[in-house]
Amino acid sequence: MTAFDPNITRRSVIGAGLAGTGLLALGACGGRDTSRPKRGGMIRIATHSASTSDTLDPGKGGTALDYIRHFMLYNGLTCIEDGSLKAELSLASAFESADLITWQIELKRGILFHDGSELTAKDVVFSLLRHKDPSVGSKMSTLAEQFADVRSDGRYGVVVRLIAPNADLATLLATPHMLIVKAGQTRPDGNGTGPFRLVDFRPGVRTELSRNDEYWIPDSPKLDRIELIAIPDEVSRVNALLSGDVQMINAMNPRSVRRVEASPDYRAMVTPSSLYTNLVMRQDALPTGNPDFVQAVKLMIDRPLINRAVFRNFGTIANDQPIAPFQPYYNPEVPQTVLDLDKARWHIQRSGLTGVRLPLYCSTAAEGSVDMASIMQEYGSRIGLNFAVNRMPADGYYSTHWMRHPLSFGNCNPRPTADLIFSLFFDSKANWNESGWKNERFDRLLVEARGVADEALRAEIYGEMQQIVHDKCGIAIPVFISLIDGYDSRIKGLRPIPLGAFMGYRFGEYVWWDDA
Amino acid sequence: MTGRIFAALRTLPASGRIGLALVILWLLIAALGPVIAPHSPGAFVDESVFSGMSRELWLGTDYLGRDVLSRLLWGARYTVFLALGAAMLAVVTGTSLALVAAIRGGWIDEVLSRSMDTLTSIPSKIFALVLVAAFGSSLVLLLVIMAVIYVPGNFRIARALAVNLISLDFVQVARARGEGTAYIAWREILPNMIHPLMADMGLRFVFVVLLLSGLSFLGLGVQPPLADLGSLVRENISGLSEGASAIIVPAIAIATLTVGANLLIDALKPGARS
Amino acid sequence: MARSENSRPAWLRIAPLILYRFASSLLTLFLVSAVVFTISGLLPGDAAQELLGQSATPEQIAALRHEMGLDRSAPVRYFDWLTSIVTGDPGVSYVANMPVRDIIAQRLPNTLVLAGITAVISVILALVIGIVSAINRGGKIDRVLNIVTLSLVATPEFLVATLGVLIFSVKLLWLPSISLAPDEASWTETLRSLALPVLSLTFVVVAQMARMTRAAVVDQLERPYVEMARLKGVPFRRIVLFHVMPNAIGPVVNAMALSLSYLMGGALIVETIFNYPGLASLMVNAVTSRDMPLLQSCAMIFCGVYLAMMLVADVIAILANPRLRA
Repeated sequence: MTAFDPNITRRSVIGAGLAGTGLLALGACGGRDTSRPKRGGMIRIATHSASTSDTLDPGKGGTALDYIRHFMLYNGLTCIEDGSLKAELSLASAFESADLITWQIELKRGILFHDGSELTAKDVVFSLLRHKDPSVGSKMSTLAEQFADVRSDGRYGVVVRLIAPNADLATLLATPHMLIVKAGQTRPDGNGTGPFRLVDFRPGVRTELSRNDEYWIPDSPKLDRIELIAIPDEVSRVNALLSGDVQMINAMNPRSVRRVEASPDYRAMVTPSSLYTNLVMRQDALPTGNPDFVQAVKLMIDRPLINRAVFRNFGTIANDQPIAPFQPYYNPEVPQTVLDLDKARWHIQRSGLTGVRLPLYCSTAAEGSVDMASIMQEYGSRIGLNFAVNRMPADGYYSTHWMRHPLSFGNCNPRPTADLIFSLFFDSKANWNESGWKNERFDRLLVEARGVADEALRAEIYGEMQQIVHDKCGIAIPVFISLIDGYDSRIKGLRPIPLGAFMGYRFGEYVWWDDA
Repeated sequence: MTGRIFAALRTLPASGRIGLALVILWLLIAALGPVIAPHSPGAFVDESVFSGMSRELWLGTDYLGRDVLSRLLWGARYTVFLALGAAMLAVVTGTSLALVAAIRGGWIDEVLSRSMDTLTSIPSKIFALVLVAAFGSSLVLLLVIMAVIYVPGNFRIARALAVNLISLDFVQVARARGEGTAYIAWREILPNMIHPLMADMGLRFVFVVLLLSGLSFLGLGVQPPLADLGSLVRENISGLSEGASAIIVPAIAIATLTVGANLLIDALKPGARS
Repeated sequence: MARSENSRPAWLRIAPLILYRFASSLLTLFLVSAVVFTISGLLPGDAAQELLGQSATPEQIAALRHEMGLDRSAPVRYFDWLTSIVTGDPGVSYVANMPVRDIIAQRLPNTLVLAGITAVISVILALVIGIVSAINRGGKIDRVLNIVTLSLVATPEFLVATLGVLIFSVKLLWLPSISLAPDEASWTETLRSLALPVLSLTFVVVAQMARMTRAAVVDQLERPYVEMARLKGVPFRRIVLFHVMPNAIGPVVNAMALSLSYLMGGALIVETIFNYPGLASLMVNAVTSRDMPLLQSCAMIFCGVYLAMMLVADVIAILANPRLRA
């Protein structure tokens, strides 16, 4: 459990410099990897999904494969280097603000795009503002609305003015969507400042990249060539790894870990993440709007069983609120809800819902939800609840079933900041206020936290918000799901970063191939 | 009546008797499974997954630590009865349409035949996928989808048989008497094609069992925590490399059910006792 | 071809058949497109929603719908598609934003290669198994082959494919577990990566074809003319190849055509397991992304292939059978 450092403020971001960026893999990986980093090697990587909508435009990225590709081709102003999840400087050499509204960003000098041109403020202004252009179709368009104005200040200076204070700006700019593209490219073609150059890109089929020898971080990257493909079927993906057809895979089923680790030639890397699959109990419908019902359901969830049976104990027990123990601002004071069937039965009897048939919607689109639904059905029968499991096809699930029934499962990807997850899924006015709850104090605290620079105070505010969600909100989060990657043990330098698979999608800069 | 059945049994070749025994075994399991199952199909009986056979858990545990035997006993009825129902529905529908097409002929025949071509030419698994996505997954819908998929095959065979029969004298005589379509179909043609139709229904049964297992690969099928035999194989596929009984047992179940049905059909064919 | 003088009446019989089939094929194709369009209209969500995913705002969806032309009524869209397909243009994919023709051009050859190789292997195998067991009907070989083919029929194809991968790729490291098929791959590499998919598909189709072949050949072998020929002293091999087979070919070819048309769209599971970029998985992608023009075009191809196979089967049956030909 990494405690966050309360001293990390915008000021310390400024000083955080670049010193370790390229070498960090060396220092931090420790343990097993005793080999020295060396150049060369070609690996093929298979992720779990690819489609004809694969893109070279960071703003449009939507899958792990997109993020990996974009982090290889482009850089962000900031980046996240390790499990602390704090933003550090990448293309920026300074990043500061006195009021959390107007931010001064200074760029490093002499960084080159793949086409040989130099990175300047013009490129950054263009890259940030394009998210506000509806014709771009950026996934970050809502977020970009908080840019009141972005302008250059000299050749290497950028000034970002926000419409309201936001202490998290540095973290938001480290997301794969906010990577910097060349000014004027309305359809980015892969020409970035990143560690790899694009060789071949065929949407839905494969991406081939080769080392950028002029990369601005010395001695990085190490690999000569990387090929990215997708194998959607999990069993096939694991088999491809074990037969040597690919060297790295993501989204492994926890049950496959034993198989992969059985041979010394292959390893599995477990990355704890704040990804979760949750049960949504609509507060504007009956019987799910009944507080006794919500309480009973939270009490009848056997979290250790779900973690063991569905996730082979690779997950992290959750507590019906979205901040995971290893994330900044996690509040350990919130009491953990544990299985208590007697108390749950009492709540059900009090609500008068005994024996009522309750349709429960789940789908493979929400990872693990089908098995969780089966478990709920089994336990429900012991406290007088009659859940009828409805497994729905993955396509169309989110547009037609999620949040549309009194009881359905949802799934939420890791978000870089507490503010983001709370604003997107728990603000009473949010589009995805999944359970349709409304808590005025929560809404007020959410706005308040954004303008607070003092980390201790922010932690206190976010702590209280976690308690409110835990107590009152109509969602149940049983477990945080870990991301499991499998890799050929000749790949060295990998370490988990809890933002996404393959070191928060950024392994390309760090890993090397050691076939000794 | 019983005497005749025994007589028929005695003339069955050995393979036919094995087939009959397997079919009866599966019908019994389908009918009585839930009664004799030691656990509920959703109960978590063991902490370890893919555990092998033991005194307490005869067939071991599945990928979540549930009792394979109980899940099999509960699941068999879905495969057996869904397949039986779908095969019967397909044959009744297909044959009825075929009789209409064969007797009335002309444009009715043309439209019916082309409609059947239409159904055959859409890949069956994709067809099922689309329908389930459109209407949700319920047992009735699964039954209807699988019946619809196998109607054209039966239509083809039944129409060919009926066209042959129509040219025969006794049908022509009935026509000359001025009998209607329904009378001719029911009284004159159907009784003479019942044998091959039964054989065809047996084949359709086997196809439906396999289609159902294919659909389970695509995530369609019976609602959890219950599972048909195909889904039992599919959901435990990650145990294949360690040879888990959770995947081998349901696979054997499918094999014995379909092979048994096939052996029985072969033995019942006229001329099989040569 | 040796009997070209004799076959002239056959052409007289075949030409009108082809014409008639062509006309009725158009009707069938039209029916397929109408059915596919109607059913896909019942699917929840549309291309805009599926493309933008969970995180879409209503405004984004509305804008994209307008861009895709989804805000027009269903009959208008169908008629639009129909008029363009009549002129030979299958339109532009909603999702990939490229002509459907190009997308299909990438996938169709893959499917044809897979189906073609499987067809050649499985037809030969099925004929051999079927004829051998028919000749030895009731004997030991027949019974063994019967059990083998039955067991093949009875094993779910995803199990066959997965077992194949476990044995040949993971354990023995002989064959690739997925079909990578990059453009520059050599012939041997391509064949190696096709080996397991072909093997799995062969397992699926060969049993049915072999059993039909056996049934048809047995039916002929029990006819009086075979006994007559034997009594006349014609070698048995000759009887089977030149007298029995031409007569049995009708039902055999028919069953084979049905099985082989399955290889196009039915390869879905094999394509999924081996990550093979074929048409069936493309069609499923079109369904899940609600990409109507692409979906319709795939359906047209599958239907066209099916109809063509049926026609070829009938023509072969007529050409091969002396009685039908005369």
